[in-house]
Amino acid sequence: MQRREVVKFLGAALALPFIPRNAEAAIKLGADLHRRLADVPFRTLNPDQQKLVTMIAEMIIPRTDTPGATDVKVPEFIDLILTEWASDDERNAFLAGLNDMDVQAVAMGSPRFLELTEVKRGEFLTGLDAKRPQKIGAAHAFDRIKTLTVYGYFTSEPVQVDVLETQMFFNGYDGNVPFTPRV
Amino acid sequence: MADTYDAIVVGSGISGGWAAKELTEHGLKTIVLEAGRPIDPAIDYREHVMPFEKRYRGMGNRHQQERYQPIQSQCGACDEYASKFFVNDLDNPYSTPEGKPFSWIRGRQVGGKSIMWGRCVFRWSDLDYEANAREGVGVDWPIRYKDMAPWWSYVEKFVGIQGRHEGLAQLPDGEFLKPWPLNAAEQKAREVLLTKFNGERLITNMRLAVLTEDHLGRQKCHLCGNCYRGCVTLSYFSSLNSTLPAARKTGNLTLRPFSVVHSVIYDPKTKKASGVRVVDGNTKEMFEVKAKVVFLCAAALESTRILLNSLSPEFPTGLGNSSGELGHNLMDHIMGGGATGELPWAKDRRELGRRPDAIYVPRFRNVKSKHPDFQRGYGFEGRAERAGWDRGASMPGFGASFKKSLIGDLGPWEMSFDGFGEMLPRHENYISIDPHLVDAWGIPALHINCKYSDNELKMQEDMVVTATEMLEAMGAKNIRTFKENNAPGLVIHETGTARMGRDPKTSVVNMHNQVWDAPNVFMTDGAC
Repeated sequence: MQRREVVKFLGAALALPFIPRNAEAAIKLGADLHRRLADVPFRTLNPDQQKLVTMIAEMIIPRTDTPGATDVKVPEFIDLILTEWASDDERNAFLAGLNDMDVQAVAMGSPRFLELTEVKRGEFLTGLDAKRPQKIGAAHAFDRIKTLTVYGYFTSEPVQVDVLETQMFFNGYDGNVPFTPRV
Repeated sequence: MADTYDAIVVGSGISGGWAAKELTEHGLKTIVLEAGRPIDPAIDYREHVMPFEKRYRGMGNRHQQERYQPIQSQCGACDEYASKFFVNDLDNPYSTPEGKPFSWIRGRQVGGKSIMWGRCVFRWSDLDYEANAREGVGVDWPIRYKDMAPWWSYVEKFVGIQGRHEGLAQLPDGEFLKPWPLNAAEQKAREVLLTKFNGERLITNMRLAVLTEDHLGRQKCHLCGNCYRGCVTLSYFSSLNSTLPAARKTGNLTLRPFSVVHSVIYDPKTKKASGVRVVDGNTKEMFEVKAKVVFLCAAALESTRILLNSLSPEFPTGLGNSSGELGHNLMDHIMGGGATGELPWAKDRRELGRRPDAIYVPRFRNVKSKHPDFQRGYGFEGRAERAGWDRGASMPGFGASFKKSLIGDLGPWEMSFDGFGEMLPRHENYISIDPHLVDAWGIPALHINCKYSDNELKMQEDMVVTATEMLEAMGAKNIRTFKENNAPGLVIHETGTARMGRDPKTSVVNMHNQVWDAPNVFMTDGAC
């Protein structure tokens, strides 16, 4: 590939920091950029951790007749919070907790949480849900994922607009409206 | 810009806005000097911004806040939507003694803290005005309820305050707009308390500076619930929404933002103030503005700081300090005591519209009988509400039914009572100028020395007891009490430091808010 073609391939919209001196360098730069762009949503979680967090978030809020956690990019939101919002200690405790999930999965007969059967994964999370107040290990990571999944899901645009139909204007206050749960 | 005016008003918040309105409407050419930047409601108000429009969905830019607003962000309203209405703590330093924190929350912009304030408005009664004289605390107020009542009415009619007439001696009724109704759960709670406490503990509608009907060119509230971020329909009272536009209409107003007032200039020939020294907020150059009268409306601590920095041969410890009381008798309220519980009724009812504030329980301690543990009393702010999806993080479970419940169901009615108690004036709670500290404009900064005493702490304990009693009387389940250890200041009701009195030997201002040392200087904010 010639240099001109490489630049064209990368796209005119991309502002290159410099023009590479040779085609090989340009191709490497292109590959790096491509990788960086592909990785933009995830800067803290590695691919395995992404899979784990994504699976758990989707188990907490699955796709039904309304979008699920993955549809509204909850895993990306969790990664954003871990990367830019959490303290170092909080991030480390979270990642250690993810690791602990796989450690505990061994006791249930699998080397990794992701490879447990669906039924066992459900049992596993039910157990962690009850242990959340302990604030350590896998239970702590589950607590954080659950909190951020609920928050990230319900504050997302598709859910605020299409599911909750959040209103900003009311023609007066009524504190005595009949209510029947839709469950 | 001419540098001579009839009147100078320092600060553009609630009290500065009122001073500007009254002075300009009486024909005085008035300049309002505001330390901070201008605010354009069309651009700066943020009440309809959705969480997904913010990078952290409203959780705040935490690391930036920890760095630039470690004190301001202790206030819940200093969040991802509204943190720009609070000062940068690095530019605005102050010191406190080791182990005696004070949380000084400030808003420096046109509108001041009236943009983010809590909007609850109560009249005082003679129970309050006579308390010092009766108990031998501080100095006696030179004014009584009968002196103030016409002024309360005058202000309330302009502000627009919703409330319910209750006929209580300790919390006089005002010129109320019709209030929003109590919700189904609160209405039942009110009825139960009336029966069980014989009217002594009463749930009434919050007295609130939020419009329930169109009023003097401002629209009624649309119940978005985010008042602290501004209001494009101008439905809550702030100087920006209300008094400053009225002042502007007279043609007599000059408003100068980025004007950080350093001190008041004293003229020994006239024994009056001749104007103020100002540091330009951008260029940091100092200049003077002259006027016949000066109104200090910069919020209690800032107004007193200006006087403490107003040094002259005649007043070497600060203008207004002849009594030695300038800076002393600093107060706040005490909050953070109360309880929450689940109400057993109205399960088939919900709310439509987000009321910013809901109910109030007026003071009942030391009203008809004396409490053995403390002087004065407290009121409860509160509400009954049902949680929506936000209960999800603490709710057990996950999966499709969990999700469905968060979308289609609501939590139980949770009734909360959060006490706000009176703090006694004490000489040993004071502010002074820190000799080693200046702010970003080179102006000597404050040292704040303040602590709650036993009287306040016992009151806070009692809040927990009485809130629990009320919830138990309602048959509430799952009652959770709370007693927080907040630093004073965090209620953001800081008052005192330039007390009003009858005697120049023991007070800083007279009954007309004039500084005894220079009678053309008026302090009309919480300082007095």
